[in-house]
Amino acid sequence: MSAPVLWIFLPLLVAGCLLLVRNRKVIALVACIFTLLLTLAAWLLPIDTVMTIGSWSFKLSSSFEILGRHLVLGSNDRTLLVLVYGSAIAWFAAAPAIKAARRLSSLGLAITALLVAALAVEPFLYAALLIEMAVLLSIPLLSAPGEKPGRGLIRFLIFQTLGMPFILFSGWLLAGIEANPGDLGLVQQAAILIGLGFSFLLAVFPFSSWIPLLMEEASPYTVGFILWMFPTVVLFFGLGFLDHYTWLRDAPALGSILTTVGILMVVSGGLLAAFQRHLGRILGYAVIMETGFSILTISLGGTVGLNIFFMLLVPRSLSLAVWAFALTILKEDSPTLMLGDIKGLGRAWPFATCGLVLANLALAGMPLLAGFPPHQAIWEGLASNSLPVVSWVLLGTSGLIFSAIRVILAFASGSTAANWESRETGAQRVLLTIGFLALLLLGLFPQWVVPLWTNLPAIFTHLGQ
Amino acid sequence: MLILLPILFMLITALTLVILRFVRPNFKYPWMIAAGGSVLALISIFLWQIRLPQSISMAPWQPVNLFFFAPTWLADGISWPYALSMIALAAAVIWTSVVRAESSPSAWAATLLLTALGILAVGAENPLTLVLVWSAIDLAELVAMLRSTEGEEQNQGVVIAFAARLAGTGLVLWANLVSTAGGILMSFRATPASAGIYLLIAAGLRLGVLPLHLPYRKENVLRRGFGTTLRLVSAAASLSLLARIPASALKSSLVPFLLVLAAVAALYAGWMWLRASDEILGRPFWVLGMASLSVAASLNGNPSGSIGWGVMLILGGGLLFLFSARQRNITWLPLLGLWGLSTLPFSPTASAWQTGNQTFWLAVIPFLPAQGLFMAGFIRHALHPGETSLESQERWTKVLYPTGLFMLAAMAILLGIWGWEGAGNLGQWWAAVIANVLAAGFTALALTVLVRLKPASSSSQWTRLFRLEWVYKTMTVFYDFFYRIAGLLTSSLEGEGGLLWSLLLLALILSVLSTQGR
Repeated sequence: MSAPVLWIFLPLLVAGCLLLVRNRKVIALVACIFTLLLTLAAWLLPIDTVMTIGSWSFKLSSSFEILGRHLVLGSNDRTLLVLVYGSAIAWFAAAPAIKAARRLSSLGLAITALLVAALAVEPFLYAALLIEMAVLLSIPLLSAPGEKPGRGLIRFLIFQTLGMPFILFSGWLLAGIEANPGDLGLVQQAAILIGLGFSFLLAVFPFSSWIPLLMEEASPYTVGFILWMFPTVVLFFGLGFLDHYTWLRDAPALGSILTTVGILMVVSGGLLAAFQRHLGRILGYAVIMETGFSILTISLGGTVGLNIFFMLLVPRSLSLAVWAFALTILKEDSPTLMLGDIKGLGRAWPFATCGLVLANLALAGMPLLAGFPPHQAIWEGLASNSLPVVSWVLLGTSGLIFSAIRVILAFASGSTAANWESRETGAQRVLLTIGFLALLLLGLFPQWVVPLWTNLPAIFTHLGQ
Repeated sequence: MLILLPILFMLITALTLVILRFVRPNFKYPWMIAAGGSVLALISIFLWQIRLPQSISMAPWQPVNLFFFAPTWLADGISWPYALSMIALAAAVIWTSVVRAESSPSAWAATLLLTALGILAVGAENPLTLVLVWSAIDLAELVAMLRSTEGEEQNQGVVIAFAARLAGTGLVLWANLVSTAGGILMSFRATPASAGIYLLIAAGLRLGVLPLHLPYRKENVLRRGFGTTLRLVSAAASLSLLARIPASALKSSLVPFLLVLAAVAALYAGWMWLRASDEILGRPFWVLGMASLSVAASLNGNPSGSIGWGVMLILGGGLLFLFSARQRNITWLPLLGLWGLSTLPFSPTASAWQTGNQTFWLAVIPFLPAQGLFMAGFIRHALHPGETSLESQERWTKVLYPTGLFMLAAMAILLGIWGWEGAGNLGQWWAAVIANVLAAGFTALALTVLVRLKPASSSSQWTRLFRLEWVYKTMTVFYDFFYRIAGLLTSSLEGEGGLLWSLLLLALILSVLSTQGR
């Protein structure tokens, strides 16, 4: 058996089977247990090493050939698999509490498997095709059956699809550069194509309009899952590019370009979040900011930047999950999620409103919450290079904090005659409480999740050194 | 380990009270547990004196090449007087609750929990620890206040106060970044001159002094017990920072300007405190005014002098705000607090008017009338008839209640003699004499003329001015302007032609960047 079969084809098969099952609880249970097993397997099973159990021995080979291409998942990728499938468990486990398990568990598992395949494929440029397949699979996940797809969904499809040819074209040019490294014109063209490709895939401003639109149209929890999986995998894919091509990694302008793009995303996301009146859109802009922060960590360079990049992953996943979960609960009471319509909801939905506000503040980097340690490291890293750069970043951050203040004000306003109650179900209360505690504990003890990402830099031969 | 002892006592007591509430709701002696726990904590704080300074750290944050500081707490000459004052306040709140209609174990648990957080804040050894504990206090206060407010306007005040505190926390983080940009890892021992002023403004902003703002129009239902703890402990958590900013870090051209702002805040708060109908309605002004005096001491290059005002904010304020049941023969008790405010030799505030090298002694002059106003207001409110009479209470409460109040007065006297490095001295006797003479004059005025005037209204022109409503209105105008621009941008990008607009914008950005690159 090979590792790609275990972590790519088997999940695809299980996802296909789950689509045929009708019982929501069975789907959720199977998806969770199966994903848990995949995570445990990634944690415990060595790759390319013979294992002996009694008289039976087997080896999990790292490579699998398909259509002339290779899918390779080596020993170094195990931490990544633990992170990807581990975070998927969290998303799948909470889904039944908000009645989102049916499509999310099956299609979500398939999307996860395809995105893992995108990270495993060699030559790695083919990842663009696998990402596109995952995008196509997201369509039925994001659009309710029988409903006309909204503008955000169409825009998502267009922008992600536009990204694919740019990446593939750049691959074609890159082959030329390898043959003729002195051709500066070719290098410049390839760099522009790579830049455009990633701008579309990562929703760099101004190609980010699909995110807030989608947050308005679809279930916040489902979009939250998509907004966690896609940018994360695309960022890994981008790091793969940097790791693979020396000319790109050593380009003198790379640092300033990444810093500019990162600032553009953080400032545009933060400032636009400050002016939103829809709770879902605020989350959308926060995700844009987070992608910007990841790009800024890459701009810091070296192992320091890479360490902060990986450090952001767990708090981001957690904050996004709590925020999207809380939003989905509130949507039951207030389908529009407009600030004007959620007045006073804090008294009826205290757990959901607390979760939403804490997750928002965590992504803004408020001290004591999970997002603070990595954000603090980014701010300090940027400040040691340039104070004006960090001032721009803080401007964007204050935009997100301002949006949180407006949300708190809306939740707290309205009639104070109403009694405090909790309309959340027991499962929702338990999950949100776990979410609060995790946000607080990771804010105080960020070292607890270091083992989850400490081996991740080893994936990259050059960047991780 | 000694440093954790009072915190552990308070947390264990709070936890016991909460567990008992669920497991044995009819338990008859929760007060005994709360009072016992608070006294143990009070005794244990004296154990800090066995070895000062001492510190304790949490496990360092990893990776260590990214985080140079770990959350660390320090018991020293600055944190001890604040910690002692806060524990004395918590004990007094619980002991004096016997005369009030506050018999909720949850409120006592919350008082102990908040005090424990307050001690963690004043003991913060570095800015990282401080912002962590500040955030915990801010979140706790936000939840507690929102659960107890009585109207939309008050809710708005609570959220604005939270936002101002968050901005203060942000300024500490900014000070750290300014320091990092200068190649210095900022700690309270090594604060560069470029960052010190931000720390001071951060504390001032959190306290409502710099710029002067009063988010709360009136006090809410959390009145005497937990409300007093909430107000005073959260203020003390910010005040302790003032004592940790070295005078050398405050060499900025902004200092005179900030002194003027602090003087305006102190005089306004002093006047409103004197004119308030009762001490509870005047409480926001008490906190604001005492904080202004503390900020002024720090600006005058006298960080240890700020401790005097800080501890008197807690002890003097606590004495008066908990003095709800009154009787002629215990009026001397709150008046003992007056000693603490007098700046006379060997009082806790004796060193308050000393100035550092860089400030001229005349800089204290504008603050003396403010001190006089506070002392006069203190006397005026102490002489009120009160909410209830102590005479109607049971005999045992007649013993416990004054004992609780006396604890605060005794701590004030003790700290004046044996508090911290700046305590136990003669101070600036001439400033104390002027302030006390002014206080006598204001008291006479208050007891003769002011009683005939209408009490200060929360909707007066001055109050509206200092509540910064005009700032919020101006900000709203700007917000609406930028909202329209943001709306235009998003509607263009998200509309039917959004794709083309996106490409056009990209071309524009690229052309601007390439022009700059050349």
